[in-house]
Amino acid sequence: MNPDGGAASKRRLPAASMASPHQLFDDTSAGALGRGYAAQQPPAAGSFLAEPVSSFAVAYGTTLASQGKEIVDRNIDRFIPVTKLKYYFAVDTVYVGRKLGLLLFPFMHQDWQVRYQQDTPVAPRFDINAPDLYIPVMAFITYILVAGLALGTQNRFSPDILGLQASSALAWLIVEVLATLLSLYLVTVNTDLTTIDLVAFSGYKYVGMIVGIVSGLLFGKTGYYLLLSWCCLSIFVFMIRTLRLKILSEAAAEGVLVRGAKNQLRMYLTMAIAALQPLFMYWLTFHLVR
Amino acid sequence: MGSPVSNRAGSRGDFLVNFRAPWNWTGKSRKNNSRQLVCQGQELPQPDAFVPLEMLSSSQSYIGQILQPTYNPEFLSHSSYADSFDEEPPLLEELGINFDHIWQKTLTVLNPIKPADGSIMNETDLTGPMVFCLALGATLLLAGKVHFGYVYGISAVGCLGIHALLNLMSIAGVSYGCVASVLGYCLLPMVVLSSCAVFFSLQGILGTSLALIIIGWCSLSASKIFISALAMEGQQLLVAYPCALLYGLFALLTVF
Repeated sequence: MNPDGGAASKRRLPAASMASPHQLFDDTSAGALGRGYAAQQPPAAGSFLAEPVSSFAVAYGTTLASQGKEIVDRNIDRFIPVTKLKYYFAVDTVYVGRKLGLLLFPFMHQDWQVRYQQDTPVAPRFDINAPDLYIPVMAFITYILVAGLALGTQNRFSPDILGLQASSALAWLIVEVLATLLSLYLVTVNTDLTTIDLVAFSGYKYVGMIVGIVSGLLFGKTGYYLLLSWCCLSIFVFMIRTLRLKILSEAAAEGVLVRGAKNQLRMYLTMAIAALQPLFMYWLTFHLVR
Repeated sequence: MGSPVSNRAGSRGDFLVNFRAPWNWTGKSRKNNSRQLVCQGQELPQPDAFVPLEMLSSSQSYIGQILQPTYNPEFLSHSSYADSFDEEPPLLEELGINFDHIWQKTLTVLNPIKPADGSIMNETDLTGPMVFCLALGATLLLAGKVHFGYVYGISAVGCLGIHALLNLMSIAGVSYGCVASVLGYCLLPMVVLSSCAVFFSLQGILGTSLALIIIGWCSLSASKIFISALAMEGQQLLVAYPCALLYGLFALLTVF
């Protein structure tokens, strides 16, 4: 008989006399059971915890669990800079609305400079020009779902296709970010563009892609081409205006033409990065719209 | 029946009886216990050695590592249950399933407009979500689709994703259990949608609009609870959008 079964049966025994030497327990608790019910409940379930070895084992187990959690947190922190990432997710609804509007219509915006606060850029919540990661991540996931929807309406859907689309889009994103990093390195640009910034900028094109696919679903091929070309143009202008401030030197950024091979090279690099966006936008969406 | 204790091969039962017995009984019974020790004639630690050990076991048990994490004072009001279950604690109490809380949380989900109380998610309760997931699978089964694996897979991946996103977006972190609990509770309207799918096909204008309404309902409730529990301002729509994507996946399962 296991100890827990024994314990339960002991509780069920009716009030017996206290005289028997073989009786295992005193039954004075008939009234105390209701009163001390909550107090009795934990030991009933944890009666095996009453052994001294078990209590040490439990204490060891809890410390082991918390140590394990610490190790996981530390290692995650080594590979993924969580605090840096938190900056890119410090957004609110107003910022996201304005940024989406900017991505689709960047022509009227005048001031593209990111505001700084004592050497650190201001959080995206307070500055519309700051890059964020919320929009790219959400746009990426939405793109995969909309692609699944588009394929579903053409009866080409299966759950594996979703995985295929996701991995191919992710692969192209990684290729693009690596190419940009490589070219920035080769041109030896002194810029404060971090890798996460580049991921964010490359992720902004998914917004235009989603708009294109949705219009293709609603209005057919003409709608798709129309809206996709508009979004391509917008993202081209957006990237040029944003990257110009980051890659080019101060003078050229203000519009003053500065002669010199270095600045020309940087201008070409900016235009190349910006021109890649419409290319990818078309490449990743044309097979979804029939 | 003799003394089952002395007949038992191991003396573990004696330890249990004697260690547990003084835990909630009066000092009078403790003396009787020491008498029993002498009667049984076994080698047991001295009575005064019981005191520190019983304190240790009681404090360990109060931390509640077996039961629900927080010692909920509401349990005391359920002491009347003990009488109706042959003087043993009800199974639900031991398992930590509190129907009143489950009902309260369900009502919060069903009314997405009423602002939520931030403290309802203090205890991670996974029984309600498990029931709703099973109900969703069952209603899908009634409609002829065996998608239990998909339901569990999507909910696991979705919970992971939303947990990561909320940890990055909010100042205070959130635990995985809390995320799973909230998302599971807000799955209830999806069960309504899939039960509608049993009676008529959802592939049409009516079905699509119904699905969209249900997705909006689920995600609004979920974001409302997250916002109030994590005190995030100005981010309700931002939290509602990924929840809407997740519930959209469930709706895809239900509709197609």
